[in-house]
Amino acid sequence: MLLSKEMRSRLDRLALSPRGRVQALWSGGHASVRKGESLDFADYRPYVPGDDFRKIDHNLWARLGQVLIRQYEAEEELPLRLAIDSSASMSLHQKHGTALRLAAMIAYLTLSGGDRVQPVSTPGPAGRVVAIGPAGRHVSAWPVIERWLEGLEAVGRAPLSPAIRSLIGGSPTRGPVVLISDLFDDEWERALDSLFVGAGGLVLHVLAREELSPGFAGDLRLRDIEMGSVVDISTSQQVLSTYRTSLDQFVTNAANRARRAGLDYLLVEAGADAAEKSLRALLSAGVVR
Amino acid sequence: MNFLVPAALGVAALAGPLLILYMLRSRRRQLDVTSTRLWEASEVQVTSAVPWSRLRWTALLVLQLLAIALFAFVLARPFFSQQTVLGPHSVFLIDTSGSMAEGDRLDRAKAEAVALATDLSEGNLISVIDAGPHPRVLLGHAREQDDVIAAIGSLRAGGGEADLSEAIRLGRGLATPDRPTNVIVFSDGGEAPIPEEPVAGATHIAFHDIVDDVALETLTIDATGGVTRGLVSVANHSGGETSVELAVSVDGIPSALLELDLGASQHAVETFELDAAAGSEVMVERVGEPDGNPLDDRAWTVIDQNEARSVGVLGEGSPYLAALVAATQGFELDVDAGDILVVDRGPLPPIDRPAWLIRPDSTPEGLELTGLVENMPATFQAPGEPVLDNVDLSNLVVAEAQNVAPRGWSPIVRAGDVPLILLGSIDGHRVVYFTFDLTHSNLPVQVSFPILGAALLHWLDGEAPGTVASGPAGAPIVISAPDGSEPVVTMPDGSSRTLTSDTASFADTSQPGVYRVTYANDDGTVTSGPIAVRSFVATEAGAPVRNIATSTGDPDSDETGVVVREWGPWVLAALLAMLALEWWIGHQRPWLGRAA
Repeated sequence: MLLSKEMRSRLDRLALSPRGRVQALWSGGHASVRKGESLDFADYRPYVPGDDFRKIDHNLWARLGQVLIRQYEAEEELPLRLAIDSSASMSLHQKHGTALRLAAMIAYLTLSGGDRVQPVSTPGPAGRVVAIGPAGRHVSAWPVIERWLEGLEAVGRAPLSPAIRSLIGGSPTRGPVVLISDLFDDEWERALDSLFVGAGGLVLHVLAREELSPGFAGDLRLRDIEMGSVVDISTSQQVLSTYRTSLDQFVTNAANRARRAGLDYLLVEAGADAAEKSLRALLSAGVVR
Repeated sequence: MNFLVPAALGVAALAGPLLILYMLRSRRRQLDVTSTRLWEASEVQVTSAVPWSRLRWTALLVLQLLAIALFAFVLARPFFSQQTVLGPHSVFLIDTSGSMAEGDRLDRAKAEAVALATDLSEGNLISVIDAGPHPRVLLGHAREQDDVIAAIGSLRAGGGEADLSEAIRLGRGLATPDRPTNVIVFSDGGEAPIPEEPVAGATHIAFHDIVDDVALETLTIDATGGVTRGLVSVANHSGGETSVELAVSVDGIPSALLELDLGASQHAVETFELDAAAGSEVMVERVGEPDGNPLDDRAWTVIDQNEARSVGVLGEGSPYLAALVAATQGFELDVDAGDILVVDRGPLPPIDRPAWLIRPDSTPEGLELTGLVENMPATFQAPGEPVLDNVDLSNLVVAEAQNVAPRGWSPIVRAGDVPLILLGSIDGHRVVYFTFDLTHSNLPVQVSFPILGAALLHWLDGEAPGTVASGPAGAPIVISAPDGSEPVVTMPDGSSRTLTSDTASFADTSQPGVYRVTYANDDGTVTSGPIAVRSFVATEAGAPVRNIATSTGDPDSDETGVVVREWGPWVLAALLAMLALEWWIGHQRPWLGRAA
């Protein structure tokens, strides 16, 4: 069970609050890029034959001599796409387990708000870029999505950028994207850039304590569990200092890239209580209300 | 700096393998990580055609090299040499005469000796001699510092005069054939000259502090004329005038208080009347602030019996003998019988009382006559022998003497190997034996003759119950216990010493005071023996100090005068500290382990 009963009941009282406008197939509670029939006034436009006479603003016609039609905001559902990094680099130090709990938390939060969630995982089976999970727009879909999430394993190599492009490209809807990954990918910058769809989103950057503060000693040959590459190091004060500098740059760049793409960014330390901590951070950042 | 095991420095060659280990490329432990991307900037380029790399100096490497160097240093046992008076065998000759009680001379001498004893190196020896009136070996050829220090600590000053000549001879007797022996004399020098100065192979460590002192030199009792008077002689050994208060007590009961003023370096005799009977113990004590020498602040005496002792003469007799007895106070001549028997030539009678045998026709038990010798000058008189006090027999010449081989007799005057005067005992009675006829020697015309004769008569009379024998501190007490009884000596401090029945003398009399001898018989009865009064030797008070001339023994010997002090413990401590630091850096602070 990825989410405890207490966690689910807490999430029932919360909802995602994306920054941008969405474009969905179904009406809902979130501001759409389209004009609609809500009570919120949006704009005027000139009358064209065929428009509903009831929307003509007679006061403006009398005052300006122009026939203008009143337009109102449309409200649609939130089509959230959830991308989970299940590459081999996520297999160590509880990172994948943490990523799945975070995904479960976001998915349940979306479903409990009556919005649509579409989870995908990369890499996919049989050499495919992604594995597409079951979509849902109501909390009744949660058990199916939870089972699918529980069945994911962190294996293989996953180029993030193609996976993001396949997730966003060709979709008729526009909604926020949540990416849960350690971003240990050669093209992680392009992957974040491609997340810019104008509907906001969130990057949950999952790193383990062993990566944030490595306790190595001695002469080591480090083998990349995903790429297979090796690096020989001799631990010393200077080596560890260099690593920390690289790590700081990596995290800072990731946060900047995410914000530039209109996404919120949260660094998550892998662990059993990571979902709880992340929820608190998202609440304080206003991403979840 | 030198090394006891210089070959051990070869251990430092272990630094070579250590450096090689540091230069060899290590076999790296493989570790799976999620990504190597962040480590690429820290990568060590290992692609090389050779299995070693340039040596990188790190804190650990420096510490390990230092540890190896210190380890080799410890094994090599570094030492430095220091000049010392100690040699392979050193004889500590510590003066315990009365003058050493002045100030803290003896304490400083003991401290100096202990300080030297702590320098005792492995394999070297130390002997300790108590150089009192009767020098004795306290400790011989000791290797352990603790034994030497304990022996030195047991020394205490007495009231007698040190016999440094005998002590040096005793020290020489301890010489070991396999190593040089040097004698270290801890002394203020004393007044008596040493015949063989400069003393070869010796070192004198002098203690010259001078302190103000008032000394009670003599105490005598004159009981003639129906009135008992005491005479006490007091000397002021300080540079200024002083007032002296003397408390007189009889058998422990205060009797009189005397006051007298003394100028600088002045002697005075004070007389006082006493109400005391024969056998009473009289003590005069200086009261007031303690002075430089506490041993000379008291004087004792015991009032002797006034009955004259009779001396019977058998044999040919001579006018010299008659004059001698008549001139000796407390003795009178009795031709028929006597408490003391004098046999002047003629047949040897049975010995049933103290006897003075002058060349009898036959020799008593223990003296084997081997012949006669002629024209023999005296060449030796026993030093420290009480009966020879103030007796100079250096001009004695004997025309003819018996040559006897003594067994159990003590020759106190000899001419070469021929005994001239012997002391001994027959059937529990004291006996003096002259191997020469008085009339065939120049002894009767010697100045010392009446002194020697009186001393011999007093010695012979010494076995009578209640007899009081006075002498300087350190002079032995002659004991002749009746058959089947054990002598018990009551010391001045009240303690008692039980001696064996065959003990002939008791020499532990260095403390001034009254020594009482009793005999404990088998049937449980106790009979009185002689009483001995031992006085502080007056010449020891305020005696001038002097340096004893010495000369080093073998100037070519390089074994003496050097003490070896090892650095080992300090280097070992540094090594342990270094290893602890190395462990701390290696295990607790890995970032200091290796420099990039």
